[in-house]
Amino acid sequence: MAPHEKHAAPLVTVTADDVERLCEFLYRRTGMLFDGSKRYYFDRRLTERMLATRSRTFQEYFANLRADAEHEIEHLINAFTVNETYFYREDHQLRCMTSNLLDEIVLRKGPDEPIRIWSLPCSTGEEPYSIAIWLMENWPDVDRHNIEIIGSDIDTRALAAAAEGIYGERALMRLSRSIKERYFRPLMDSTYQIDPGLRDSIRFTKVNLVDTPSMAGFRNIDIVFCRNVLIYFDDASRRLAAENIYDCLRPGGYICLGHSETMSRISSLYRVCRFPDAIIYQKPEAEDGSR
Amino acid sequence: MAAVENADRRRRILVVDDSSLVRLYYHSALERAGFAVEQAINGIEATEKVLAQRFDLLIVDINMPGMDGFSFVRDLRHRKADIAALPILMITTEADETDISDARAAGVNYYLVKPVSEADLVRHATALAGPAS
Repeated sequence: MAPHEKHAAPLVTVTADDVERLCEFLYRRTGMLFDGSKRYYFDRRLTERMLATRSRTFQEYFANLRADAEHEIEHLINAFTVNETYFYREDHQLRCMTSNLLDEIVLRKGPDEPIRIWSLPCSTGEEPYSIAIWLMENWPDVDRHNIEIIGSDIDTRALAAAAEGIYGERALMRLSRSIKERYFRPLMDSTYQIDPGLRDSIRFTKVNLVDTPSMAGFRNIDIVFCRNVLIYFDDASRRLAAENIYDCLRPGGYICLGHSETMSRISSLYRVCRFPDAIIYQKPEAEDGSR
Repeated sequence: MAAVENADRRRRILVVDDSSLVRLYYHSALERAGFAVEQAINGIEATEKVLAQRFDLLIVDINMPGMDGFSFVRDLRHRKADIAALPILMITTEADETDISDARAAGVNYYLVKPVSEADLVRHATALAGPAS
């Protein structure tokens, strides 16, 4: 989802001079030439690193970078070179889903009542497809339940790409050869297309996290994957998004955030659940009626 | 990749289930074992496919909107000989005795209770349809 989303302002401001200084530094240290003219991508990745290092200003971040505090140069390069998401990203959360979350969710389900899993934002589809593949490969009970997987994003071009389901080698780097053979069809130019049956098993829809009416179309969700997007919002938008998701969740439903995000800084509505593989946030079972 | 229709000597299986993820799970397991697989979302679509194409085995769920597994099997058993004789493997979440005896009465050859592992699925499909190719 785009950081320049309508109601959500980016958290940090970076000037053209800052970009130039950073590019020059990276070039001198690594020999890699980064393109500072694509400010959208540039700012997005720089913001990610500034937030991860809790830098309040570019100057503060740049000082840390020059000192290479906590290997920040490497982190920054990784952030700039991984331009897209990939299959099985942060798979410890997927493992948590099949080891812990679903067992608890199915206890509350009636027969034939669907399990709803929502990838929000789904970007170009890697995450919702990963969820489907992970379930088929790792959840022995996958055929006992009616599972609905929804992928939503604000960006209609991303949604179109998700539905087309064509990926390069890099997006598939975490998948085993047998999974690649099973769920993808090789095309020319080292690209792969997702199996049409897998594509048809995901419902892709447009949604804006901070637009309450558009979020109201989604209810009784059991698990939301909302990773690495709230960091781009300001406090107010972030809280609004968290509240909107809360209303979409079934009581007892879960939300998975990115590894550098914590809900406790955003909203007190959710309960923190510490599982062996991941920290996940839960909408409490019994609502107190305050919302 | 499937070869041209005439040259394809693989055994053909129709998977009938209303959940797309379940269809896909069975489909990819069977295809990996060497079967050619088609899918249908309920009894109505399955009947259309069975009348139009050759199959060696039907794998059928019970609870499906439109036309459930029992109605589909009962209807099929009253059709012309080659179709009425098709082997049917029923796979469902219902595990009580009544359902199993209902399935037998409807004309199901074998009955499995979900969850079904990939190995079990392939083993029973091979037993009922014959070796994959």
